[in-house]
Amino acid sequence: MPVLLGIYDLPGQTAGAVTQLRGRGFTDIETYSPAPFAEVDDAVDPKPSRVRLLTLIGGLTGVVTGYAMTVWMANDWQIMLGGKPFSSIPPFTIIAFELTILFGGLLTVLGLFVYGKLPKFKLDSAYTARFSAEEFGVVVRLAERDVKEIDALLREHGATEVILVES
Amino acid sequence: MTPPPAESVAAMIRSAPMPPDSKTNRDLLAVMKGASSGYWLLLGLALFFMHLAGGIWVYQVYKGLGIAGYAHPVFWGVYIVTFVFWVGIAHAGTLISAILYLFRAKWRNAINRGAEAMTVFAVLTAAQFLGIHVGRMWKSYFILPYPNQRGLWVNFKSPLLWDTFAISTYATISILFLYVGLIPDLAIARDRATGWKKVLYTILSMGWVGSSGQWKAHNRSVLHLSGLATPLVLSVHSVVSWDFAVAIVPGWHTTIFAPYFVAGAIFSGFAMVLTLMIPVRRIFGLEAYITDYHFNNMSKFILLTSIIVGYAYAAEYFIAWYSGVEPEQTAFWLRAFGPYWISTWVMIICNTVLPQLLWFKKLRVNVPFLFVLSVFINIGMWFERYVIIVSALSREFNPATWGVFIPSWPEMGILAGSFGFFCTFFLIFLKLFPIVAIAEMKEIAIHDKAHSAGGDH
Repeated sequence: MPVLLGIYDLPGQTAGAVTQLRGRGFTDIETYSPAPFAEVDDAVDPKPSRVRLLTLIGGLTGVVTGYAMTVWMANDWQIMLGGKPFSSIPPFTIIAFELTILFGGLLTVLGLFVYGKLPKFKLDSAYTARFSAEEFGVVVRLAERDVKEIDALLREHGATEVILVES
Repeated sequence: MTPPPAESVAAMIRSAPMPPDSKTNRDLLAVMKGASSGYWLLLGLALFFMHLAGGIWVYQVYKGLGIAGYAHPVFWGVYIVTFVFWVGIAHAGTLISAILYLFRAKWRNAINRGAEAMTVFAVLTAAQFLGIHVGRMWKSYFILPYPNQRGLWVNFKSPLLWDTFAISTYATISILFLYVGLIPDLAIARDRATGWKKVLYTILSMGWVGSSGQWKAHNRSVLHLSGLATPLVLSVHSVVSWDFAVAIVPGWHTTIFAPYFVAGAIFSGFAMVLTLMIPVRRIFGLEAYITDYHFNNMSKFILLTSIIVGYAYAAEYFIAWYSGVEPEQTAFWLRAFGPYWISTWVMIICNTVLPQLLWFKKLRVNVPFLFVLSVFINIGMWFERYVIIVSALSREFNPATWGVFIPSWPEMGILAGSFGFFCTFFLIFLKLFPIVAIAEMKEIAIHDKAHSAGGDH
């Protein structure tokens, strides 16, 4: 199936083109942006990123690990310190807190890898260094018969160039 | 349009004339190109001090901590002072990258990368002092809760253990934060590098192309890391302050240690950002990116935190007097008028009096003045920790055991070496990685372009 690439200067044009393509029923759409623009990313897929799920799992694992580890270790070999109970929750809260942050942070980065599909061992064929300069790209996979029409659609939204990447 | 034949398409995209690279890329990547003789001189100097400290450290391991002046009554000397100093420096990076991110303070974009790098290197510098400070550093793994034949575990009720967890978490999270922020910029560098650098950036950027899914996950990750790092940064220096405040030594009785230390840390960290970024901006001609506006805002932060720190100094004295506890009162009297009076007054003048000049807008944007002030603040903040730690320990409970502590040459050598270590890594970072977050600067540039184009964006 052919793949068309439209090149844009502004995020608004990019988002506009994507929205219309999606409205037309195209699903295999990808964009390249030089900087984060929520409007472009949301136009492709309006659902919020699921990284948050992993952060939550990491944080909960951390807090449970923190309390479980400290309480178990304090009771595994009991040593009386300053007349305090073996399982002293206030000081253990500090350990639990730090581990919440640590595990939450580690799983957040794992989330970036999982949901951002990193690492990617081969760059997309449509990707060029222009998209790490200041241009935006819209890539759409479409049927042979739609090429002409979508080419016009992409230009209508202000594409400076439309390239047939695969045919 | 008639589509071109299939086989020529891949070739076409590669041979299509590339439009000239964007100005932001050119300006900010230029920092990484070449190196002047001044750069090599600085790097050489930094490496010299780093290795000097390494040599002294080996000698200290051989001879024992006695050569560092560790004797009754002061067993926490310059090493712990410097540890606290560097942990404090680290804090501004997280404040700028995480807290200001959550507050959507866009002005952080120009300075956040430099500050994040500073954070990572400052934490790594600080962490070494724990090893240097515990004479038999080959046993420092005792601080970790690991299973052993004796069936013993570490004491989680000790602030030193809290410190272990706080500092290692902080180091990990700041490295992740720096790296995640770098990924899009590494891709920019990858697309423009050649040779071994291309290989390095290709590996580090992990195939980043800036697709919608990647940006979405990236934005969300940065948001969550900021949300996690914000309470973390507050907790780390609180925990460091509890190393002292949990003890019953006179001079460490006040309960405001945690917020007092956090404010002091942000204060000193911002000063260090100025100390680093002013020369960087000047040498690499980044005046268009780091502007008066940024200096003005940073100065306001310094002024605010200076006032909080000043309030904490005053509150300490007031509570010492108001509590009616004689040892605490004596400790504070001796702090100001005892053998360490010079350190105390250096601390008060540098940290609370001099920054008041920042009430004047003219001075807030006067770059040479800010540079000099930031150096004074760094000195003042080092002395603050010196005063808190040394003056309290040297005047402990029993007057018969009082003593005077004078920093020894190994301590001063290793202190100098810590700056060498920090500067070595910062200088190498400058040449390998973009010191200004390019993608974030572009976000602003493209926003401006969209506005001037008159369209929505």
